[in-house]
Amino acid sequence: MSPTPATSDTTRTTSGPSAPRRRLARGTPDQTRRRRRTLRDATTAALFLLPALILIAVLRLVPVVQAASDATHSSLPGSALPPQWVGLDNFTALWHSDTFWTSVQQTLLFNVIVNPLQIAIALALAVLLTQNLPASGLWRTLVFLPAAVPMTGSAVVWGIGLRPDGPVNAVLGTVGIDQQPFLTSPHQVIASLILIASWIGVGYWMIFLIAGLNDIPQVYYEAARVDGAGPLRRFWSITLPQLRRPLLFVLVADTVSNFVLFAPIQILTNGGPERRTSFLMYDIFHNSFELADPHTAAAELLVLLALMIAIVAVQFRLLGEAEDR
Amino acid sequence: MNTHRTPTPRARLGRVLLTTLAVLTALAFLLPVLWLIASTFRTSTQTFADSGSIGWHTLWPRDFTLDNLASAWDNGFARNLANSVIVAAVTVVAGIGISALAAFSLAVIDFPGRKLVFGLVVLSFLVPFEAIAIPLARTFSDWNLTNTITALVLPGLGNGLAVFILRQFFLGIPGELVEAARMDGAGWLRIFARIHLPLARPALIGTGLILFLFQWQAYLWPILVTTNDRDDLAPVSIAKTFNAFSTDYGRVFAETAVLAVIPAIILLALQRHFVTSIASTGSKD
Repeated sequence: MSPTPATSDTTRTTSGPSAPRRRLARGTPDQTRRRRRTLRDATTAALFLLPALILIAVLRLVPVVQAASDATHSSLPGSALPPQWVGLDNFTALWHSDTFWTSVQQTLLFNVIVNPLQIAIALALAVLLTQNLPASGLWRTLVFLPAAVPMTGSAVVWGIGLRPDGPVNAVLGTVGIDQQPFLTSPHQVIASLILIASWIGVGYWMIFLIAGLNDIPQVYYEAARVDGAGPLRRFWSITLPQLRRPLLFVLVADTVSNFVLFAPIQILTNGGPERRTSFLMYDIFHNSFELADPHTAAAELLVLLALMIAIVAVQFRLLGEAEDR
Repeated sequence: MNTHRTPTPRARLGRVLLTTLAVLTALAFLLPVLWLIASTFRTSTQTFADSGSIGWHTLWPRDFTLDNLASAWDNGFARNLANSVIVAAVTVVAGIGISALAAFSLAVIDFPGRKLVFGLVVLSFLVPFEAIAIPLARTFSDWNLTNTITALVLPGLGNGLAVFILRQFFLGIPGELVEAARMDGAGWLRIFARIHLPLARPALIGTGLILFLFQWQAYLWPILVTTNDRDDLAPVSIAKTFNAFSTDYGRVFAETAVLAVIPAIILLALQRHFVTSIASTGSKD
């Protein structure tokens, strides 16, 4: 120990009956130092967090406030008068609007199919590509690649590929299936969009599930194998329960991203045919710009947000319950 | 260990089947990209002539031509591409800095209300940016940010997932390292720069990739805050080409191929890292 001057360290030199009293009255220098340190830490933490918190305020809070303000005001398109406060009139108008309900219905229909489908495929791929097969990294990268192609590019390429004279119909032709209209048929357009969205998204979610799979301790599998459990049994009893958290994360993130799917619709279908792909996100854009009605759009946007939050909450509940069992 | 036991013929057959399945799946995902690249190097007349019936030439041009790429170049696609690259690069660098600092204070520094702030950050991530892009564009236009790089970059910087992943990684760094450095009188910024950043390299690659993909995929926001063709990002310019020239797709293919090849090269270069990085940090609690 280095010889420190006695005056620099009061706690060590103080002794006798006065010491406990002093401790009660002002706290030891140790405690003061700790308190000062806590304060300094909090200041540093605040400084480090400041840029991120400012961004969250600007990018998340400000627009929600703006949307709430837009949704409760109204003005005639092109009018120079300031917008008038109308309370919940925009929401009542939505409630009575058929086009709005079509959008809600089609958005839900699309999401009820696309999300479980994408997660199931992503999970299957994740399991397949974590079996220590040769060149697994390459196959993962190739499956992931579509996620890195800009969605506009994917949409355009698939749009051309799904034309009556395109390669997809040619492939179907070789197995004797007639030419299909795909994106121009009201009965096939949702399925076609699901195909495109899944080609883009599945690889991305697969990566997160591979992560989860890698975190499962190998001993569980060894033990199960010793007990004579087959591959299916191991999947149901070890993989699925152990993967609950990553699955929840991926399910929530995939759902919110599919709820705001926009580029393929605006580029390929413009909400048609027969409004089948007029999903809420597209309809909000359409109202806001093509119909120049930001007020109805803002009301619809708040509905979309509420719907999304509700779904996320339900998914948390479901997986939480599954965990309790 | 049972990895050393000799595989039974049945197990070996199983692995061959699984490998075949993996290769076929990967090829299925790759096919549209191959068709896109082939179509970049041929006239669109040939594209449709050779795609109407499937054959070797569906994926391999009969006659190679650079006309589509030249047409993209002549129509100023290079400028749009440069815009995209600049926006993505600025986003990745600044975004990593901002997210890492935030993640560091949420993971390492002990301060009151830490849980609350973390919850706020994660919840902000649950609201996808596209959902609030339209009202935000109105605000940005009031702030005179239309047609600026700032407007294009900003949404990419506030990424809750990036903060989440980095925090997760920082939590795994032993507290003794931090304590030892503090004993030696190192400040938080020094600990951050000398201990956490270097150790977090895999997580930083994953985060950088997520930030990059966000901007590379962006479409709705760029069309909202950009009003002239020169300032358009590359994906927007592709969509405009597609809608304007619905009879000649050659240029569309060429432009899309360029936008697909750039991330493909990055991914293949980072192949070893990116799976483990997003992978080992993304979704644990």
